[in-house]
Amino acid sequence: MKKTFTTYGLMAFLMVSFLFSTGTVIAQEETEATQEEPQKERPARPAFESGLLFDNATSTIQPSKTLEMIIQHRFGTMDNGVSDLFGIWAPSNIRLGLNFSILNNLMVGIGTTKYNKMQDIQIKYNLLQQTRSNSIPLTITLYEVIGIDGSADEKWGPDYKFSNRMSYFSQIIFSRRFNDKLSLQIAPSFTHYNAHIVDTLDHDRIAISAAGRFKFSPQSSIIVSGDFPLEIQSISEQSDVSILDSKPNICIGWEVSTSTHAFHMYIGSAQNIIPQENIMFNTNDFFDGGILIGLNVTRLWSF
Amino acid sequence: MKKSIKQLVLLGGAIAFTVTMMSMTQKPGEPWNIPAKYKTMKSTIKAGDASINAEGKELYNKHCKACHGAKGLGDGPKAASMKTSTGDFSSKGFQAQADGEIYYQSFVGRGEMPNFEKKITDENDRWAVVYYMRNMKK
Repeated sequence: MKKTFTTYGLMAFLMVSFLFSTGTVIAQEETEATQEEPQKERPARPAFESGLLFDNATSTIQPSKTLEMIIQHRFGTMDNGVSDLFGIWAPSNIRLGLNFSILNNLMVGIGTTKYNKMQDIQIKYNLLQQTRSNSIPLTITLYEVIGIDGSADEKWGPDYKFSNRMSYFSQIIFSRRFNDKLSLQIAPSFTHYNAHIVDTLDHDRIAISAAGRFKFSPQSSIIVSGDFPLEIQSISEQSDVSILDSKPNICIGWEVSTSTHAFHMYIGSAQNIIPQENIMFNTNDFFDGGILIGLNVTRLWSF
Repeated sequence: MKKSIKQLVLLGGAIAFTVTMMSMTQKPGEPWNIPAKYKTMKSTIKAGDASINAEGKELYNKHCKACHGAKGLGDGPKAASMKTSTGDFSSKGFQAQADGEIYYQSFVGRGEMPNFEKKITDENDRWAVVYYMRNMKK
C-alpha cells in the first residue's frame, strides 16, 4: 500500500515539477506581431484541439456560442483475446454529450452514459488564460462534473433517497502550450459520492491527472493521459486504504483534428467515461491485461 | 424481350451518368460584393512576419486545406463535393486582390464558404493566414 501511494505521489510530484519548471527553461515559440505601437496582451492559442482528451477535460474552451457534440465509445477489455476480437465484441460503454460555450471562458454541458444510466452536468471555467507574451505562463481552469446515477431505486435498498444518486467531481486544471507542437496539463481533483451500495468503498477520493499532446503533422498528434487515484489513509473510511483497489486510467492514442471535428483513437484502461466513475471504480490494470480500445468524436457548430 | 431490357438498362445508365456528371459540374463563384471598409483594410502584421509560416500555416492546414488543397489550387478532398469552384489561390486573379478583399472572403464568407470569424478569433492570426495564401503565388 505504502509503495503504491509513494509511487503515485512521486509521479505526481515529478509531473508538477516538470510543468512548472519548464516555464522558465523552455522558451515559448509563440510568435508575436511586429507592430511598433504597444498592443494589448493576446491570449495564447488553445493548448489542446478539443475540450476533451480521452476521458479528461482539457483547459480548451471553444469560442462563445459554439455547440460541441461528443460521442465517446469504449469497447471491452482485450484480456479475452481473439475470442471476443480483443474486446470489440465485448459489452461496451458509450456516452453522448453536448457542450455549449456561453462565453469565451465559460462552458456548460450535459451528457448521458450507458453504464448505470449515468446523467451528467458539466461546467468549465477558464480562470486565467495563458498569453503569447508569456506574462501569464499557464491557463488555469475550474471543472466540475455532477453525476446522477439513473439506476432503479432498489439499487440503494430500503433507505433510498434521491440524493444517493449524486456524485461530484471537482478539478483544477493547469495547462501550458509550450509551442506549436507540445502542450501539457496537470490536474488535481476531488471526487465525492453521496452513497455507495457497499460499505467497503470510500465516499471521497483525491486524484491527480496529467495529459499531453505532441503534434507531429498539421492535423495529427500523439496524445497521452493518466488519472491516478491517490490512496490517502487520512481521508479514507477504511482501516486499510489499499483494499479499495482502484487503478489508474492510463491512455495513449492518436488525435486527428480538423476545423470542426476532433477524433481520438486510443488504448486505455478505464471504461466508465465519466471522470468520477473512473477515479472511484476503475479496476482495469493497464499493465496487466486491462486495456481496451476507445474512440471519441467531437463536432463543432458556431452560432 | 431480352434485347428491350438490355436497351432499357443501357438508357437508364446513360441518363444516370449524365445527371451525375451535370450535378458534379462546378460553377465559378459569382463576383464578391465586398464592403468598402474591407477593401481598404490594413493588416495588423507585416509581410514576412514569422507568424505567417507558423500560425498562418497551421491554421490554413486546419481550417482551409480540406477544400482549398495544401497549395491553394482548389484541389482539397472536399472540393469536388462543392457546387461552387473553390478557386485557385496561386492564380493572378486571386493574388491581384487587395489584402482586405482576401480577408473578407476568407473570414466573413458567403454561401458554401463558411464564416471563420468564430474559428480564428485573433486578428493577427487571420492576417497570418491571408499572407500565407499570398505565398501561394506562382
